[in-house]
This record gives sequence, C-alpha cells and structure tokens, in this order.
Amino acid sequence: MKKLTALLMAAVMLLAIAIPSVLAEEPKVEYTYNNALSSFPTNWSPFQNQTSTDNTAVLDWISTSFYTFDYNEEGDSYKVKPLAAVGEPEDVTADYVGEEWNIPEFVADADGNPTEEKTTARAWKITLRDDLKWEDGTPITAHDYVDSWRLLLDSKAQNHRADGLYTGNMVVTNAELFAKQGTTADTSIRSYMGLLGVETVEELIEQIGEEKGYLDWKYSFGDTYDFEAKAWTGAAEGGVVETPLTFKELYEFYTVGAGGEYITWADEAGKKEYALDELYAKYEYPEMAPEKLGVKALSDTELIVILDKPLSGFYLLYSFTSDYLVNKELYEKCGKEEDGVYTNSYGTTLETTISYGPYKLVEFQADKQIVLVKNENWFGHEAKIFGENSYQTTRMVTQFVSEPATRLEMFLAGQLDVYGLQRDDMVEYSTSDFTYYSEGDSVFAMVFNPDMEALKANQETAGENKNKTILTVKEFRMAMSLGLNRADFCAATSPTNQPAFALYGGQIVADPETATFYRDTEVAKRTVVDFWGLSDDVGEGKTYPTLDDAIDSLTGYNLEMAKQCFDAAYDIAIAEGLMDEDDVVEILIGTPNLTSAFYNNGYDFIVNNYTEAVKGTKLEGKLTFDRDGTLANAFGTALRTNKVDMLFGVGWTGSTFDPYGLFQVYVSPTYQYDSSWDSTTAMVDIAVDGVVYTASASDWWYALSGEQVNLVNKETGETISAAYPDNKEDGMAERRISILGALENAVLQNYHFIPLMGDASAALKGMKIEYYTEDQIFPMGRGGVRYMTYNYTDAEWDAFVKEHGGILNYK
Amino acid sequence: MLKYVIKRIGLMLVVFLIIISVCFVLVKLLPSKPAEQFGKDMALIEMRREALGYNKPLIEQYIIFVRRSLIGMDWGVSEMMYVGQDVMKVFMEKMPATILVNVYTMLFSVPLGLIFGIYAALKKNTWQDHFISTAVMVFVSVPSYVYAFLVQYFLCFKLQWFPFQMRAGYDYFSWETFVSLVPAILSLGFGTVAGLTRYTRAELTEVLTSEFLLLARTKGLTKAQTTVRHALRNSMVPIFPMILSQFIGIISGSMIIENIFGIPGVGPLYVRSLGTTPPDYNFFLLLSAFYTLIGLGSGIIIDLSYGLIDPRIRMGSKK
Repeated sequence: MKKLTALLMAAVMLLAIAIPSVLAEEPKVEYTYNNALSSFPTNWSPFQNQTSTDNTAVLDWISTSFYTFDYNEEGDSYKVKPLAAVGEPEDVTADYVGEEWNIPEFVADADGNPTEEKTTARAWKITLRDDLKWEDGTPITAHDYVDSWRLLLDSKAQNHRADGLYTGNMVVTNAELFAKQGTTADTSIRSYMGLLGVETVEELIEQIGEEKGYLDWKYSFGDTYDFEAKAWTGAAEGGVVETPLTFKELYEFYTVGAGGEYITWADEAGKKEYALDELYAKYEYPEMAPEKLGVKALSDTELIVILDKPLSGFYLLYSFTSDYLVNKELYEKCGKEEDGVYTNSYGTTLETTISYGPYKLVEFQADKQIVLVKNENWFGHEAKIFGENSYQTTRMVTQFVSEPATRLEMFLAGQLDVYGLQRDDMVEYSTSDFTYYSEGDSVFAMVFNPDMEALKANQETAGENKNKTILTVKEFRMAMSLGLNRADFCAATSPTNQPAFALYGGQIVADPETATFYRDTEVAKRTVVDFWGLSDDVGEGKTYPTLDDAIDSLTGYNLEMAKQCFDAAYDIAIAEGLMDEDDVVEILIGTPNLTSAFYNNGYDFIVNNYTEAVKGTKLEGKLTFDRDGTLANAFGTALRTNKVDMLFGVGWTGSTFDPYGLFQVYVSPTYQYDSSWDSTTAMVDIAVDGVVYTASASDWWYALSGEQVNLVNKETGETISAAYPDNKEDGMAERRISILGALENAVLQNYHFIPLMGDASAALKGMKIEYYTEDQIFPMGRGGVRYMTYNYTDAEWDAFVKEHGGILNYK
Repeated sequence: MLKYVIKRIGLMLVVFLIIISVCFVLVKLLPSKPAEQFGKDMALIEMRREALGYNKPLIEQYIIFVRRSLIGMDWGVSEMMYVGQDVMKVFMEKMPATILVNVYTMLFSVPLGLIFGIYAALKKNTWQDHFISTAVMVFVSVPSYVYAFLVQYFLCFKLQWFPFQMRAGYDYFSWETFVSLVPAILSLGFGTVAGLTRYTRAELTEVLTSEFLLLARTKGLTKAQTTVRHALRNSMVPIFPMILSQFIGIISGSMIIENIFGIPGVGPLYVRSLGTTPPDYNFFLLLSAFYTLIGLGSGIIIDLSYGLIDPRIRMGSKK
C-alpha cells in the first residue's frame, strides 16, 4: 500500500511538473529589425510630411497606397500591382461628360474610350478592397478618401502636400482652385493665363494690364531698380513685392525697358519667356463647393477620380502609389485655428497616429526611438499578398543615433541590423562580404557661370589683374572637365560614389511600361560615347568592340588633353582681349557652408587638382580659387544670381520614372543652375523617323511634354507642328528616347554642367537578416523589410552575439 | 534687501526685453524664403508664409510677437522642426532628460571635485598634489566630446558595461535609466571635476596659509578642525557661487554629449532652430527667451548667494 501510495504521489508530482509545461504558451518568436537614423522623423501626416525620413521611418509602414511596386514574376525587375485597390482603374470618362468636369462630348474608339483629339480629361474608377481597416478595426471606405482629399486641399490649412494633387503628372480636376479658394496669391503670367484660359500675354494684358505688377527683384535680377531715380541700386531682397508699375508697364520694363537691358543673357524672345514665370499679378481665387473637386465616392468601395491631364498606363498607377488618407475624426481633433492660422498635429506623436498599413506605431519618443509592430488588422498579412515569407519582421525599432562611430559600434555589438558605411569606414569594409552597394538616382555636377557680363562685373569687383572672363571660353571649361580625376574626387569626398559621365544615372527609367532604363538604351550609350569622343573607336576590329566596352573604359580624365585645352583657352583669351598676360584667373567657388566634410574635402581637392593640372601650361601659377562658404539655402541659385563663378556637388534628384519631365531643369531658367544658357534660342538638330528637324532645346522639351511645337525640316526648310507626348502610339517611346538623348548631348556640349559623380551608398548588412535579392533591383532595392528574412530569432541572436564575445567581425 | 531684489528683477526684465527684441530682429533678417524645388507649387508655400504673417512689416510682426508670446505666453507652433506641434510642449517634453543628466553629473562631479581639491591643497607640493594637478590639466584641456567617444568605446563597446545610448522612455528615475546615463555623466563630469578641483585647491591653499589659521592652531585646534571649520568655510565664498552658476547653467544642456549618448534633451534645439530656411522662429524665440531669463536670473541668484555664505557681505546695503 505504501508502495502504491508512493507511486501515486510520485506520478502526481510528475504530472504537476509536466502539465503546466505542456499547457504553458510557447514563447513568442520575435524578429526585431533594429535600425538607427541620424535625423529623426517629426511629422508623418500624409498632408504635412516634409523629409524622406518622415516617410521611410514611419509613414511608409502605417499607410497603404492603392497600388505599389513589387518584383516581377522573374524577380529581376519591377511591376506595379494593386494593394488597397482591386484591379486596374477603370476609364469611366463617358459618365462625366459635361461642362462641370470640362469633358466635352467625345468620339469613342473601338473600345468605347474617348479619343485623344477630343478631350484630355479622364474620369477613373478605382475599386477598393472591402477589407480595408484602421488599426482599431474601423472600416475604411471610399468616402474616407473623398473626405481626406478635401481636407488635404483645405485652403485654410495650406498643407505642404496639397500640391500632390495638382502638380506633376496627376492633376485632379479643380484641385488647385479648391486648395487656393478664397485666397489672393501672387500668380505668374503663365499660371494667370492658364487660370483665365487666355492664349497670349497680349490677351492677358488686355484683361489685367492696369492692375499692380509684382516681381522678385532678387530672383529676377539680383538687383533692385529705383523707378524714381531710374537707376539700379545694387541690392535686392528676396520675395515677390509690389512695384509702382501697372502689370502692363512692368511687362514692358522687363522685356524692352531698363529691366530688359539688364538681362543681357537673353534675347527678346528669351526675355518674354522668362517673363512668363517671373512677373506676377494678384489673382483672387473664387470660393468653390467641395462637390466640384474631382474626387467622388459612388459607394463604399468605388472611388471616382477625375483628372485634367491625360494619364494612363504606368503613370496612372504610379500616381496612385502615394496616398493621402487621414482618419477624419482624429485629424479634426488634432487641428486648431488661432489668429487665422490653422495648424494640425496629426501624425506627430503616438496619440495622433493611427495606422492602416502593415505595421502600427506603439512607441514614439521624439528624437529618441520609434517602435512599430505588425498591424494585425491589415488585410495583407492574412491574405499573404506578398507571399508566405513576407513581413517576417514582427517589430521594427528605430533609434536616433547621430554619430556614425556609435552606430558602427552598435552594429558590431549586434544591436543594429544595418550600418551605412562612411568615408572613413571604406578602408576596412569596402570588400567585406557583408557590404552592399546601392546606386542612387542623382548625378552631381560641377557647374560654371559663363555669362560674360556677369563675369566682367565680378572681375572688376575682384580687383586688378584678376580674370574671370576666361570661363566664357569653352576650351577652358573642357580643360576643367578633362583635368579632373573623377575617381580620385569621389575617393576624397564620398568614396561610395562613382564617376559620372552624363546627366542621368543608371537608375533613370526611360520607358517604365517595359522597365527600360535610359542608360541601357542604344541612344543613351551613343550620347555618352559621342560626348567623350570615342565614336570613331567603337566597332568590330576597333579599340572598343561595343558601346559598353567604350563606356566601361571611360574615366573622364585626360590630363594631356586638358593641358592642351588650358593652353588653347589661354591663347583664345589673350587673342580676344579677355585676359592680359599678367592676369591671374580667380574662380570663386560657392558652397552652402564651411562645415560639411564633403564640400571642404571637395574644395581642397579641386584647388590642389587644378593647381597641379595647369603645371607646364601657359596657365601655370595663374589659376587660383577662392571660396564663398556662406551661401546656405541660396547655394542653388548662387550661380544664377552671379554671386559665384562655380559650384560643385549640385544636381537634381527624383523623377526617376520621368526623365522627360525632369529635363525641364536644364532648359527652364526657373531651375537652371546656369541660366545664361538660353534654351529658347539654342537650336538642336534631332533625327525623328529618319528626318532631321531643328528647333530650340526649349521647344523640343515642350514637344516631349505633349505640347505642339514648330519643327523645321533641316533639309527642305519645311515647318511642321509636332508633339511627342507619352502615349502608346507605335514608335513613340523610341522617338522620345532619341529626343532625350539629343537634348542630353546638347547640354553636355556646353560644358556648363559637367557631370562629376553618381550618387551611391554602401551599407553593412547584419548576420541576423537576409535580403530577398542580392542584386539591387530598382525600385525594390533588395526587398526591404517587406521581404526581409531572419537567420535568428531575437533570443537566438542575443545568444549568438554573446557566444562571440559581444563583438562581431564583419571584415 | 527686498528693495534690492525688486530693483534687480526690474532691471533684469528691461535687459530681457532688449535682448529678446534684438534676437527677434536678427532672426528675422536671416534668409527666410525656401529654395525653389522642382515640381513644387511654391505659391502654396507663399500662401503659408502669408498666413503666418511672414510678409508683414517687421514692426507689425514684432507687436504680434510681444502681444502673443511675451504677454500672452503663447509661443506658437513649430513650422519647421516639429511641424504642427506646440513649441512649448516639445520643449517641456525634452527638458527633463537634459536636467536629469546634468543633475546626475553635478552630483557626481561636485563632491569629487571638492574632495580632490581639498586633498591636493592639504598635500600641497607632494607627489599626490602633483599627480592631481597634472590630471586636472589633462582633463581641463581635453574637450568633453573626446572623453565621450573614449568612454563609449571602452566602457560600452569593449567592456560592455553600459549601453551605448540612454534608455528610451520616460521612466527617468529607474535604475536602468541611471545605468544608461553613466557614460554621459562621466563624459560631462570629468571636466567639471577637474575645474572644481583646481579652483578648490587654489582657494584652499590660499586660506590655509592665512594668519588667522595659524592663530586658530595656536589656540589649540587640531589641523582637521581648522581646515573644516575655518579654512574650508572661507574658501567656499568664491567656490559656492561657481557651483551654483554651473548648476543653473546645466539646463541649457550639452548639444554634443546629448547627441553622442542619445539623450533626447534640449541641447541641440537652439542650433537646429536656426538651421532651417526659414528659421523655426517660434522655437528660436522661445529658446532665446528661456536662456536669456536663465542667464539673467542666475546672475541675481549668484549675487544673493554671496550673502548667504558669508554674512559679512550685504547686498544693496548703503552702509
């Protein structure tokens, strides 16, 4: 009996030990992605976010767009697929014909769609998923989108992102008028003409000629004209201000009067072109009912978007990869209006944030830490929209760590999963198996001011025997280009960057429908080879069998030729009386500040490089540099306003999928670094469908934008009217690429804007994580958090790091 | 005394108004128009500027500022750094972290500074004094961010005794938070310890050689008694205000140390408020007003403290 009792007791004890361990919950497996940033997000409201960090650190994870980029089936390129939407947008233009939406009766094509000739406006129906929810489980409907878009465009809020609905490719009908209703704004001639629907400046002057004229003296002239004294004052403040002239008088002043005389860098046509963007009048935007805005909800899942400009195919879907949805109730709670100023704190703290994306915010401390966890109410997790292994990350912790040295130590201690390599790290980690290089979409350049009058004025200010006008000699600028070792420049300033030889880098997409990268096209390759003078060396049996071989051989550095060009430039300058033999060339280089390592190292490199490069030439000892490191935000316009003679490290980013639109920065005085190149008079010959036409660079760009322009047949002299918009017409994509290549070549040939280096970065990947693809696939990168997988759970990782003594080796 | 204090406060307010007015004018003279951005509707930005009153005449903007902020105590909303957020709220949220790290630093460095200073003075011209004096020179000369990186490298990375960054969250008085602050406290404290050691040693050495101390010894007091009761108390007259001024000044924070150790305090805010275009006017003016008041207020408190330590000193007395 005793034995039995003992056995029973032992069995009970064993069960008592075993049962709880069987019933106990499995420890939750966590996969935490640890990241650090040196600048922290402060506002991730879809209406107000301003920096890329605001997006990448928070907004991208707590929101869901209608469409999104994903890998294609082969995993070697991209596609755009529906996310919050179901299927592709449906063209419902026929249902919205009428004056209300400015859609006239149209002639339908075989599919029942309106033809291009009759109307450009389109109405699209986007069908939404019926399981869209906020993180608290409240359903999201099409009505929420309508409310949000109206709030975004609320004129009293002046939301930073409001123009997302009317600038660029996607122009929602009446969005701009709605956003500006009830306000009076300084409106440029070009915009005013659009608002009044007039075709010419003369017609506009007829209507508003007697109203007050406005302009920005600093921007337009860098100087102010005293109308009483009839003299220039030599100083100007930024900002559009009222002038004592009527709008009509101001236009005359600018084009043919004293203002016009001041603008030596443009002819009459050019001045008139500049005036369109630089002269202003007050326009009072009328009140508008919300129903007039081109967005409507037909039902909970049917959203209608009416667009003013033609948009279809890739660009239509691409426009809907950004999103502007807010939770109306929370948004209104976060708003306040004081003294006529409306402010809203939506998306700035944990309390003012609500997610409808794959993750939700659970902790936020300003300038310290962000913690996001999986949002279980997001439809994509259950539906496995991106595959079984997607979103393995259960938690994302982002810390603010300002010092790179600290970030590296934290990374080596296993506390961070990626580390962006810095210049000083490259010696140790550039060849590490864990180092991943990523190409960016920007090209940074060296830009010169070749405007004779401006240089003469600056030369006088610089003092006796100082020369700047040699910059007008093309051979000098060529020498500057050829005499710079771009690879060494990159090593000295930002070693992850790569030398660049053209305006656009490798990430620019020429035909997004087919994922054709511009630099991979024959036209773009030929442009580079032609510009660098290798055309005759390419072909079978020649130095370079293929264009790619020729491009691979480029360094952009030819010291011998640079020395010849320096000598030639000197001779030309002496012969033309630009320079005396005892003159010293002094180039004033502008930088935004005196603290940036990039600009400090870059400036030092340039000075040393050219001092060496002119040795043995007629300019030996005669080429000097000076620096203005106080330009701050005026850095970009410093060349345009003749404050400096040269800039470096400048360029344009964005518009990766629209290099045609982006080309405006090279032909528009509003954006050009060097506005003395008058693109309205610079003629460019381009072969289209085997016929060579000539037109100004500006007109070619307008033709790419879809506007009809006059082209002159080079052979017959006949003038035709043509446009080359983005449409599905046979051969149009090829024509557009040809034109773009020719325009790129035209800009390069000026040697005003000299490509220096392409933007690239390098980062160490931690042993804890794996990327989806080893190669960078634009725009998916290597899959990001969406596709990231883990080699260790958090607990395993801690043990692994401990096993290795707390410091991991990534060399 | 009361009359003196009232007079000083009155003068302080006048000086405060002058300084804040100068700050207002100067910050408004900085470039305020953002650079042209490709594809951005600059008219929208202009509309915002107009609504915020940036285009109004300066004097009108100044009157609005005085009425709203200085009188109404409404410092407005951040337009650049923390878009849409109340600047006072952001500032107050960040203040505790700065105060905490600096209070800990004072608690660590004042006793050590005094102890080393007294010890060096008592051991004047011995190897101990030379050792302390040499160490003081080293620690006074080297900037705190150098210690910060060294402390971080050795204590946090190599020895793994402390975390790299201050612990996230608002539980400032937890043990974990304290431990996470130790590297920052050490980095900030080394300089203060060295400074205080040097000052204490110098003052105490001078007092120890005074004739009244000799008299005290001849009266039969022990060395310890004369040092503590007479020498130390007398040498504290200049040292205490120094400690007080450091204590008051701590709330200005340390931009570099806060950055290195991830302390979400107020240190970096002032510089950042001027680093945007346009500057974050509301933040800049709030910070200017705050630091001006702290500076002026501490001057009064330090002056009054002399009287508390040494009753022979009478503030505002006409006698």
